[in-house]
Amino acid sequence: MSDARLIPFRPATEETPTTRLVLIGLAIGGLGLLVFGPLLIVFAEALAQGWGAAIAALSNPDAASAMRLTLIIAAIAVPLNAAFGIAAAWFITKFDFRGKAFLITLIDLPFSVSPVVAGLCIILMFGSNSLLGGWLVASGYPIVFALPGIILATMFVTFPFVARELIPVMIEQGRAEEEAALTLGASGWRVFATVTLPNIRWALLYGVLLSNARAMGEFGAVAVVSGKIRGQTATMPITIEMLYNEYLSVAAFSLAAVLTLLALLTLLLKTALELRHADQLAAARRP
Amino acid sequence: MGKPLIHRSPMPGLGLSMGVTLTMLSLVVLLPIGALLWKGASFGVGNIWDTINRERVWAALFLSFRLSLFAALFNLVFGVMLAWVLVRYRFPGRRILDAAVDLPFALPTAVAGIALTALYAPNGAFGSIAKELGAKIAYTQWGIFIALIFVGLPFVTRTVQPVVEEIEREVEEASATLGASRGHTIRWVILPMLAPAALTGFALSLARAVGEYGSVIFIAGNIPLKTEIAPLLIVIQLEEFNYDAAAAIGIAMLLISFAMLLVINLIQVFSRRRIGYV
Repeated sequence: MSDARLIPFRPATEETPTTRLVLIGLAIGGLGLLVFGPLLIVFAEALAQGWGAAIAALSNPDAASAMRLTLIIAAIAVPLNAAFGIAAAWFITKFDFRGKAFLITLIDLPFSVSPVVAGLCIILMFGSNSLLGGWLVASGYPIVFALPGIILATMFVTFPFVARELIPVMIEQGRAEEEAALTLGASGWRVFATVTLPNIRWALLYGVLLSNARAMGEFGAVAVVSGKIRGQTATMPITIEMLYNEYLSVAAFSLAAVLTLLALLTLLLKTALELRHADQLAAARRP
Repeated sequence: MGKPLIHRSPMPGLGLSMGVTLTMLSLVVLLPIGALLWKGASFGVGNIWDTINRERVWAALFLSFRLSLFAALFNLVFGVMLAWVLVRYRFPGRRILDAAVDLPFALPTAVAGIALTALYAPNGAFGSIAKELGAKIAYTQWGIFIALIFVGLPFVTRTVQPVVEEIEREVEEASATLGASRGHTIRWVILPMLAPAALTGFALSLARAVGEYGSVIFIAGNIPLKTEIAPLLIVIQLEEFNYDAAAAIGIAMLLISFAMLLVINLIQVFSRRRIGYV
């Protein structure tokens, strides 16, 4: 047997086994330090004094009201953004008009604005110092330091999510199916409900999922506009900050664990969507 | 005659979809940003400059943009590597790793902030190891750096991954047949194909890091001139009801991030022209 036979065959388009091992090791190590570590520590800190302390912290009235508030905010902001996303995607993909690229840029704008600046903008627009805000406060409808302001701030930061998922999918699907339905005499709403919606439902769900995760977890923008009134305008992330700053570690991490479970659920659903309906999702395509 | 503003179309729902789109866009995004610019205009360019031109503000702006740049560069390298590993290699736990990349998108920033602090504080699991080695991570600029890497982590991987999936092996085989080493092929054949997508991810990661607040403030220590980020300065001004100063810093941040995105877009146009769109 010649010596050459002892060298294992390696295709020219692959890295050496050592390189592979090093790269895989770096990937696992990096994600361990940055992702898995923080994930584990949340639960470890929440349960540092046992299940009883964690559950007691969650049944505290302030924690309960924070959870209720966060659910209310998501229940209002996410459907509104989904409605916007559908309308914007329909307008952009079913019609030809000038300035389309500019409109898409404007929709994407919240991605490049700091959440804190977003909150600042809403305070300057609707705060009691502004013309509009002063009038609203005088008429008994305060926006800033109240629920409407938090919802506006949440909508600002999650604004592009649904539209961004829908636009590429609807561009790819074209208009032929809708046009056929129209020729057969279907009304506009019927075309949308029976032709468009089934085609975009998974992309819509995907966008709603991402939007919901961000809406429930938004901190910067909400911190600025909420006024942080305990039991009234303190959302879950805000309450986590307050508890943490009061050195109530178990309470802070217990609430954080609830949000982490929610994040894990989001990831699970997202992965399931990607595996099952990759062909109908924009995210699975090239940007 | 030029093109009409809106082409005639048999599609229904033009009025409704345009109305909803423009109304909500204006109410939620454009008018509030307009209010910021209006506030800035009435405050005056001179006053804005005087507000920004203080040591503490410069220090915060410089810190935010410098660390964001470093974090985005780290994510550029790590993200491309991660995309490569996730697409090309098969190993146990790959799916979990793939799903974990998206955690920073799903995990609320405040949760990430306190978790990273607990981990990297001198008495934390990783921080105590660093302490024995004589390094301090949390409450220093290293802590901010780590938090900014965390929030920008998914962008590069997620933009590059689909491109790696579509690279045809034939191209690599051709390169190898022509005598190129594996390293040569990666440097001159594969990386140029990934460059545009990687740059997009880099830009997104940078934009996200510059504005980041929630995950940073817990780990930063927030010492003026040293570990105080620009968004925190805005929050401090707002807590003192100093709206003019807050608006001035906000406008400065907006302008600098738009300028950076513009530069990156130009680089991208240039690189696409040079290496072609892949």
